[in-house]
Amino acid sequence: MTLTEARVETASAHSRWVFRVEELVKVYGSNSVNDGITLEVRPGEVYGLLGPNGAGKSTLVKQVMGLLKPTRGSITLGPHDLVDSPATARRLCSYLPQAQMPIDSFKVNEAVEIAGVIRGGKAPDVRRRSVALLKALHIEEWGEVYGARLSGGVRRLVGFAMATVCPGRIVFLDEPTNDVDPMRRRLLWEQVRRVADEGSAVFLVTHNVLEAENSVDRLAVIDGGHIVAEGTPSSVKAEFRGRMRLIVMMIPGTPDPVLPAFVRSSTRVANRLVVLINEPDVAASIVWAQRLTAQGLAEEYALGATSLEDAYIRLTGDTGQGTT
Amino acid sequence: MMDGALMVELAPTRPGAHWLRSYGAMLRWEVVGSRLLYPLLLVSQVLVGAGFVVGFGLLIPELDRAAAQYLSTGAVVMSLILVGLVVTPQLVAQQKMQGSYDYVWSMPVPRSAASLATTTLAAVVAIPGIVAAMLVASWRYDVSLAIDPTVVPAFALTLACGSLIGSAIGHALDQPQVTMLVTQLGIFFIVGFSPVSFPADRLPGWLATLHEYLPMHHMALAVRSSLTDGLVVMTPRSWMILSLWTGAAALFTAVVLVRRR
Repeated sequence: MTLTEARVETASAHSRWVFRVEELVKVYGSNSVNDGITLEVRPGEVYGLLGPNGAGKSTLVKQVMGLLKPTRGSITLGPHDLVDSPATARRLCSYLPQAQMPIDSFKVNEAVEIAGVIRGGKAPDVRRRSVALLKALHIEEWGEVYGARLSGGVRRLVGFAMATVCPGRIVFLDEPTNDVDPMRRRLLWEQVRRVADEGSAVFLVTHNVLEAENSVDRLAVIDGGHIVAEGTPSSVKAEFRGRMRLIVMMIPGTPDPVLPAFVRSSTRVANRLVVLINEPDVAASIVWAQRLTAQGLAEEYALGATSLEDAYIRLTGDTGQGTT
Repeated sequence: MMDGALMVELAPTRPGAHWLRSYGAMLRWEVVGSRLLYPLLLVSQVLVGAGFVVGFGLLIPELDRAAAQYLSTGAVVMSLILVGLVVTPQLVAQQKMQGSYDYVWSMPVPRSAASLATTTLAAVVAIPGIVAAMLVASWRYDVSLAIDPTVVPAFALTLACGSLIGSAIGHALDQPQVTMLVTQLGIFFIVGFSPVSFPADRLPGWLATLHEYLPMHHMALAVRSSLTDGLVVMTPRSWMILSLWTGAAALFTAVVLVRRR
């Protein structure tokens, strides 16, 4: 086989395993939790689904995993219809649910190994991979510790290892970084990328916008059961091109300041005031922020590029309090 | 350096091989998953089994041989029924309360294999209680048992029937608190108002008639006739009713296990 042929074959193998959701509707009573969701994820891709609490993110994943039945619409993975065959879905998809894994009486090594064997891996392969994965996540020192004795963050990482030790064609990760410390979060994102590089698709469910911006290839923002934006992180925030964000840390207890006319939009969460401005107004905005500081209303300020968070807030009206 | 990918394909194995492999893996998951509970379960099963024999004996000071046999075998039946009908649904309810139900039931194994692994564990857990009941009975009342080969189908059918009904309850009821309440009521009814530790003719006529169609009476007959010599007679009709209940419970469990809300 020539190199070109090999490349063509890899490409067609990839297109064989595209994950597609089409016009998916899930109705509870008179409430449409998913209302016509259509999306596509390719092997090798890290795809993020962002949205506020109750937007319908987990409901979507549970329908893929065969835990809930769609009211209408289709879910396919390559040639397989996952709505028709939940058993196939469970074998081809791996899943880290939002709730913690039930591993109180498992030692960490056991939990990951048994999870891998249940997923169909051969014991020696699974053990090798498990050791490497725990090491890469920097949690190998807990290998012989019972789940009941782990902190929430380490337990979360063990759950991630259980879901990816023998990954499916697509791996669903529901809030994988919850409770995880900043250093290990970075290690976790490296492993997420690695799972994608090895040929699985990764479907990330989160409301942590800042992390998603740095870790996904493409994303969709879901709100009220609808997809309200989809694309690369840059394209989703494209409407904010030419804008800057000024963050002013107000002194606790001070009222909202009067906003100058050049401010395009503003949000205040606790003492953090975020205003968006056009690039030509940067100098004027710094003068304004300095004046607030001099008047004893603000402690400090920072000027930066607009982020996905700005787009997310406009799209969902969710200030993301506590998640940024 | 990390090992290469271990992505799992839809292996072209025979369905039977996949089922067996899954059953083995799930059994391991169940055994490891509940090992912190074993000491507690062991103690409670032994206490229930032994306590049943001794405690009910206190109600009747002068036990004749038949009554003693009734009581001793009743404790064995009770252990078997309670493990299936009570412990199994409570394990499922516990998964739902912990939020781990979704993970366990999204595992890539046939659900029948996962369910049977749970039942297997329940059967093993029932053993200490049964042994304790038998030992205490022979020590306290000098009861000698006459075990015949029907003990195998009798124990298996009793346990399977109870566990299948129990897991059907656990899976069918969405609210774990409701499951807990239903199983509490179940214990009350089985211990107090079922012809397990006393003969059916002690019950009011209508209740005795009802028990002709419920499984507990026939479970007790099957186990009792396999452990004693001529104390009770297990009829083909009882075998049939017990088998029908087991079949119906298996069918119902199969339906609720693949049901998607």
